[in-house]
Amino acid sequence: MMRTNAESSDIESVMEWFEERIEDGENSILVYPNLQTFRQIYTQYVKDQLLAGEEQKEKGNDDDYDYSHNNNRREGQLLMPRIILIATFYDTVNAVKHSLSAVGVDVQSHIDDGSLLIVDAFDGYYPNTNGMNKLVVSLSERARKEGRVGVSVISNMGFFFLYDGDGTASELISYEASLVPKIDGGNVRGFNCYHARDYDNLVDSQKNELLTQGQKKSLEITLSAYDVPLQV
Amino acid sequence: MVVGSPLSYKKQYEKEDSKNDKPLANLLVVDDDPDIAHVLKQGFLKNGFLVSAFTDPEEALKNFQSNSKDYCLMLSDIRMPGMSGIRLASRVKQINPDVKVVLMTSFEINDNEFSKVFPSTQVDGFVQKPVSIENLTNKILDTIGETKRRLNEQQ
Repeated sequence: MMRTNAESSDIESVMEWFEERIEDGENSILVYPNLQTFRQIYTQYVKDQLLAGEEQKEKGNDDDYDYSHNNNRREGQLLMPRIILIATFYDTVNAVKHSLSAVGVDVQSHIDDGSLLIVDAFDGYYPNTNGMNKLVVSLSERARKEGRVGVSVISNMGFFFLYDGDGTASELISYEASLVPKIDGGNVRGFNCYHARDYDNLVDSQKNELLTQGQKKSLEITLSAYDVPLQV
Repeated sequence: MVVGSPLSYKKQYEKEDSKNDKPLANLLVVDDDPDIAHVLKQGFLKNGFLVSAFTDPEEALKNFQSNSKDYCLMLSDIRMPGMSGIRLASRVKQINPDVKVVLMTSFEINDNEFSKVFPSTQVDGFVQKPVSIENLTNKILDTIGETKRRLNEQQ
């Protein structure tokens, strides 16, 4: 597992990992140290992706656009921006919208044009994970039909730590195992995001299983003293 | 993380309380959002409760393990990293089944899902956030009514 720290200057390196290390068709794992850092990451990623899409639309051509990771590319074809799905768990859908607005993302217009979808992860994974799978498949198909760059799925995995009982980890591991490290020709980039406090509830063998025996790309963002207590 | 040290807070409260009436009840409040934990603590203090507030459910559980007989009720958020309110409720009930548990959430969960989700956890109440301190106080008083009466009888 790659590791980096969550100093603000290193958010750039996290973005590089999101944008350059993870390719279309890949499923990856991100471990974040606290919600503040996670918000920084997803807002920056959404901003970067959707602003790039807006600039692309304004330019009306793809001369300078980097499609190096886009396997939907066809010669001379102008592609629509990526669809981004955020499945939130510890923040409400409205809180995510608020965080995105705060960094200058025009949330409603991107929702309206189909580039951005924000859902409660509970609804995706409960009563079973089929809901999330179906949603991602439908977005993937829509992206292809609309000539979009692809789909990014940023999903908070906190749901799998909600309930008590020994079955919880096995349900999570079984779900992660169903997401193969890479699908050739796929247009979805999956980022399954774990809060460090949830991730640390797993034993080493379970963590190894999540990473599909090390085949899945992963990034752990650490703090020197993670989740620094805030005195009220 | 403790929102204010429970022990120092207790001392502070008892000092203030010596001039006033006996506390209504001793509450354990857990919410990973420090702002919410702070507001709840202050609100319940003003309404005459003794309160220990935590933002870290693990710390809250440790405190409860040491003081389980002191508490009448635990009010906890549901979605918290590290240990959810559901897990915390389960542990708390294992330690002291007499303690009432009220869970709160900002998320919508309909009744059908709720009944499927919590079959094995004895939750005494459920609150949808945002909620006023006044409504929460009434909910807590309703919930602890029986416990409070039993405690008074024992005394």
